[in-house]
Amino acid sequence: MQASRQLPLLKLLQLSSPTLPVGAFAYSQGLESAVDAGFVADANTLETWLLDTLKLSLLLLDIPVFSRLYQGWESKDMEAVRNWNSLLYAQRETSELRAEDQHQAVALGRLLADLGIGQAEEWKTDKTACFLTLFSLAAVTWNIEKEQAAYGYLWSWLDKQIAAAIKLVPLGQTDGQRVLSRLLPQIPAIVEQGLACDDEQIGASLPMLAILSSQHEMQYSRLFRS
Amino acid sequence: MVALAEQIKRPMPCAEANQGWKAELNLGFKRKLEHTVLSRHTQFGPLTVQRPFYPEKETCHLYLLHPPGGVVGGDELRINVRLEEEARVLLTTPGATKFYRSMGALAQQVQTLSVADGCALEWLPQENIFFDQTRSHLSTRIVLEDTARFIGWEINCYGRPASRDLFTKGLVRTRLEVIRDGVPLLLDQLLVEDASALKSPGSFNGYSCFGTLVATQVSPRLLDLVRTIVSTRENRQLVGLSLLDDLLVARCLGHYSESIANTLRSIWAALRPELLEREACHPRIWST
Repeated sequence: MQASRQLPLLKLLQLSSPTLPVGAFAYSQGLESAVDAGFVADANTLETWLLDTLKLSLLLLDIPVFSRLYQGWESKDMEAVRNWNSLLYAQRETSELRAEDQHQAVALGRLLADLGIGQAEEWKTDKTACFLTLFSLAAVTWNIEKEQAAYGYLWSWLDKQIAAAIKLVPLGQTDGQRVLSRLLPQIPAIVEQGLACDDEQIGASLPMLAILSSQHEMQYSRLFRS
Repeated sequence: MVALAEQIKRPMPCAEANQGWKAELNLGFKRKLEHTVLSRHTQFGPLTVQRPFYPEKETCHLYLLHPPGGVVGGDELRINVRLEEEARVLLTTPGATKFYRSMGALAQQVQTLSVADGCALEWLPQENIFFDQTRSHLSTRIVLEDTARFIGWEINCYGRPASRDLFTKGLVRTRLEVIRDGVPLLLDQLLVEDASALKSPGSFNGYSCFGTLVATQVSPRLLDLVRTIVSTRENRQLVGLSLLDDLLVARCLGHYSESIANTLRSIWAALRPELLEREACHPRIWST
């Protein structure tokens, strides 16, 4: 009884783990260009950069769209899933950010299909698939509560950004963990507000990040693909 | 027209006693022999157009006018443009659109630009200025059919720092949406409620003006050409170019709307010969 109640938690850890084979290590979500431009130079500026991105972008875009994708999968409303996926993809601002999202989405699609989730099949080669669409499919299939899954998504996003920052800034491992520790207490409010967004509030572009990401597409020497 | 605009200008750039203007402008264009003509024009409230003119052969140049000279809380302005039957149209405005301080009511401007197969629209308005404590929504929806061509921009400025007029609080939600055959190609939405987004390094990083140009049917080779033009400009602003399939998105952050407009105009001028088979023809109003 106890064991089956805890299974969704274990599945969430599996879904949020850095070892999930979706190629996340190859992407920095614009962080490499932010380091190059001097916006992120140490632990403090990294913390500001990540907190701003969480509050100005993920809160208003990723979390509310995730909530709708989750509901779409839950109620087997494939039209809603398609529509929210398209709207999310259209809000990835640059070709690099789109490639980052799409590559990880189809990788997760292949994985979920291999793990026996039939609905993932049609997304394995989709040219405009978003990672969150497949992430929310896994969450619904594995009975992970919506709010819990949103926590997992943000934790996993932060963890990947800090791993990238450790290579790029560079930062010591402990400094990375300090930044993570300082940002984690912000997550509950971001999840709560993100889940409460109305449809018309959804959407958040970051002008400087979009410009830096565009410039990164031309950058000669780079560690990451975004 | 300027005189008319002066006459009806509101005495104070902050008013809420009225219920706000409700205004709507509907414009339809078609090709008729050599020219594109304004085949349908209905309006109510203070939104109108000047007489079309033809500095180039068939392209219809038209200025959109908003005689009150500014948008206040409670205003609802709708602009609907539809191009059909090979129409070629260039739209611009004679001056900045100003969104004034609000006591609470929301101002809304919704622009829907719908371009049928085989038509070409250039949407080149002057900048939008959002004053401190405005509460405004500005939405630009570009709806394209398969082979429709489009080049256009929106330039949004928050406060006027050059006049020490800073944006400190309020609510500005801007939305730029490009849809082709029912599929959203781009959706850039931006919410500015206080100075924090304007200061944030990932967002405005202290700049107060943001311009976005979008153009369809751009090839990677044409993108390279635009890159050479942008990289040769030295005007203390930041420009990012990205090609999303065939949709070019140029984003520009700076302190001054004029320098952003110049950058976007030079990109437009570089694109026009290839995309619209025309050399750039600057609307006269830009130089006044």
